[in-house]
Amino acid sequence: MTALGAPKQAGGFQPPTAMGIVLSVVLIIVALALSFLLVQTAGLVALIGIIIGGVLIGFGVHFVPVGGAPAAMGQSPGIATGVAMLAAGAGLAGLFAGAWAAPLGLAIAAASGAIGGGLLMAITCTMVNVIYVFGMGIPAASGKVAKDPITGDTFPEYKSQGTEGHGLPFISWVGGVIGGALGGLGGTLIYLELLGIYQAQLPVILGATVEQIAPVAVSLAGIFAIGMFLVNAVLAAYNITGTIEGPHDPKFKRFPRAIIAAAAASAVAGVIALGLFQLLGVF
Amino acid sequence: MTVKVEVGAGGVPHNKVMIYGLVGSFIFLYLTYLNTYLQAPYLAFFGGLAAVAALVWGADTIKHLCSYGLGTGVPSAGMIALGSGVLAALFGATTGVLTPIVTIILAAIIGAITGLLANHVVRMDIPAMVSSLTELAIVGAITVLGLATMACGTFEFLGMITGTFTFLGFTVQTYGMSVIGGGVIAVIFMLGAIAIQHAFNACLGPGEKQDRTLMLAAECGFLSMITVAIISFAFIETYAALLAFLVSVIGWIYTYKRYIDLSKRDAYAWLDAKPIIEPKGGA
Amino acid sequence: MEEIIFGIGITALAGALAAVAGAAEDTESDIGSQGDPNSQVQLAPQMGYVHRIFNKAIAGEPPAYGLWVALGAGLAWAFMAMQINPILAIVLGSALAVFVQGVYATTAYLGRTASLSKFEQPVYIDILKSMTTVTMAHAFVAIFATVTVCHLMNGALGHPFPLPLLGLVWGIALGAAGSATGNPFYGKERQYQNQAFGAGVPIAASGNIVRYAEAGQRNSIDNGFFSAKLGGPASGICFGLIVFFELWRTVVFEPVAAGWGAIIVGVVVILIFAIIDRYIEVWARKTFGPYTTPEEASS
Repeated sequence: MTALGAPKQAGGFQPPTAMGIVLSVVLIIVALALSFLLVQTAGLVALIGIIIGGVLIGFGVHFVPVGGAPAAMGQSPGIATGVAMLAAGAGLAGLFAGAWAAPLGLAIAAASGAIGGGLLMAITCTMVNVIYVFGMGIPAASGKVAKDPITGDTFPEYKSQGTEGHGLPFISWVGGVIGGALGGLGGTLIYLELLGIYQAQLPVILGATVEQIAPVAVSLAGIFAIGMFLVNAVLAAYNITGTIEGPHDPKFKRFPRAIIAAAAASAVAGVIALGLFQLLGVF
Repeated sequence: MTVKVEVGAGGVPHNKVMIYGLVGSFIFLYLTYLNTYLQAPYLAFFGGLAAVAALVWGADTIKHLCSYGLGTGVPSAGMIALGSGVLAALFGATTGVLTPIVTIILAAIIGAITGLLANHVVRMDIPAMVSSLTELAIVGAITVLGLATMACGTFEFLGMITGTFTFLGFTVQTYGMSVIGGGVIAVIFMLGAIAIQHAFNACLGPGEKQDRTLMLAAECGFLSMITVAIISFAFIETYAALLAFLVSVIGWIYTYKRYIDLSKRDAYAWLDAKPIIEPKGGA
Repeated sequence: MEEIIFGIGITALAGALAAVAGAAEDTESDIGSQGDPNSQVQLAPQMGYVHRIFNKAIAGEPPAYGLWVALGAGLAWAFMAMQINPILAIVLGSALAVFVQGVYATTAYLGRTASLSKFEQPVYIDILKSMTTVTMAHAFVAIFATVTVCHLMNGALGHPFPLPLLGLVWGIALGAAGSATGNPFYGKERQYQNQAFGAGVPIAASGNIVRYAEAGQRNSIDNGFFSAKLGGPASGICFGLIVFFELWRTVVFEPVAAGWGAIIVGVVVILIFAIIDRYIEVWARKTFGPYTTPEEASS
């Protein structure tokens, strides 16, 4: 992703405004009430699942170590790409795995989604280090902390001059895998909840069997899961202004804002997706 | 070291572009409804024209939003626009003849909510955020709805989920061979997501000119129309699809040529196989 | 049993195709300077370094490849719906998607370069003529291989997603893997070949990219040769491994323990990669040793 603009809020951490919090709470409550009115208990349960999925996505993005354009020059640590899109790559690979395992039940499908996302990030982060070490001769060094919280490696003496650090320290690797797993889990949860609702409603509306409507239910649930994933991931990316090193980065502490935003956005998007067929045939 | 986002001044005021885009795409969408009175959906291409009108407007909006510097690059704005837009478009499509109106209203609501969340919870604190994300969600929704209408000839949900399949000479109705059931909606989603941001992303810089950017937006729209027209051969009558294809190709050739002319006008020099000319100020 | 052997064969084929796709993707994006290294190609003229390098800014690689592959898959799906043979349909779909890619590439170069007129960066039209076709050729390989992988997943392994949706998912994953692995190699080692090996580019050197080649002036096809030596193949291995392990654990181990087998194997694979990564990191610290320069630029 092309790097544009300077981070506007690199300094302090501004909490959400009172209006923002009230708005989010009201939206979530209204959405929950609407989902209960429209699709009864099943709708309420599904919407809670969707909100949890959205929150997991928003939270997961904060773990993914992304350095943006400077990372491609070895000027800052992290993976050299855009945070929303790298998270989307991992999350959608998780969605792929989760959707495949959907017939085996919620627990296995959700776990499979998490593993799918984590696996993509594990392989990608390892290959990033391979390139840094064997292609460029650069050891990993974080710019934000002096010591790796997991391995205890020290960084300042490995940081080359005139840079903010480079490469992917082990803590960032772990963060990437956790982020991918959370993203995959969240995306899969949204998909499964929507799929369940559509598979129950569509056969009644269209007078067809579950097998006949399966393509429509799968595609609708899939495209809505991707759409909600991107909305949540971009909101989270706005929260960290594009780059983050992983869970040890001071920017990580901003995650409560993204969680509130993701919960409210997923509640609104979720209730629209759940109520998709309520007006069908009315006009 | 990040590249500063600079935009050129002057040109048509944004509100004027917005009104033309909104009214134009609205009228084009309703023109496709006349297909109901024809024996074949010959007017399907108006859906694509609605998308073009919306994309021109969207490119101008993205220019306004991204001149603030989001920290995550221009493409993420396109992603959030289409992510909210696809929900609004598919929900809107279930409301029969009211589809374009419901789609626009619903997209405006989702966009305003994401904008408020971005400003008040995530604390982007960008003045144009709420209005821009509202406009972008509407643009995304119209693009999805317009291109989907172009592919299957109608903006009604049942038309989007039912298709026909010829097997041993018998024509069978099936949900799998449809715009939504076959997953073509995913193609439309990505076509819109790239087209909406490409115009500004490709033209940004101190020498950016509004007419060139908007011409490129129209070019991206017609290019997307070409591919959707080819896909529409699978859904609608051959002559209707052929008409849509011809309209898109003519529109694309015209806008591409105009765009190259405008680039020639704005370029510092237009050289063929010449060496680097060092700037007069010296390197 | 036969089903599993068939599945393993498909998995191996998909992994091999994905490796080809990843290698072609990274080489393509480096020839066009797409993705993060693009920022330096964009920055150089502003710092007074006018260059002859292709500046193909079409979003980032993940969204761009999300479109190319989804489009190739969607067109292939439509051709198959018109009763065209799948192989021909995939070739036609990929070819049309590559046409779209080529058009986007030319408009991106013209737009970015024309907007740099203030810095006296001319539009070199021969760059478009000679390099667009090269990126299109690489993009065709990447798109065709990925769409074929998606078709195998949908047709042979029975994944519920329709072909275009799989194209969107794996296109974004392809772009993410390719840009993450390949970008630093092109961005640091090639654009800043004049900087010291084994260290990051000092921020003060930003924009001073290498503009001259062994003979004459550097163009982006030279960069393609360079990427094809390490960055491209490494991206290929990355994407190939992702596709292979994702399919392998499901195809072979899903019948074990009512589905939990696939998940346990996935966790084991992740742990193995953790060990490999840690080994590489420690090896680098030991081999390259601490830099002796005093620390001053800590932030």
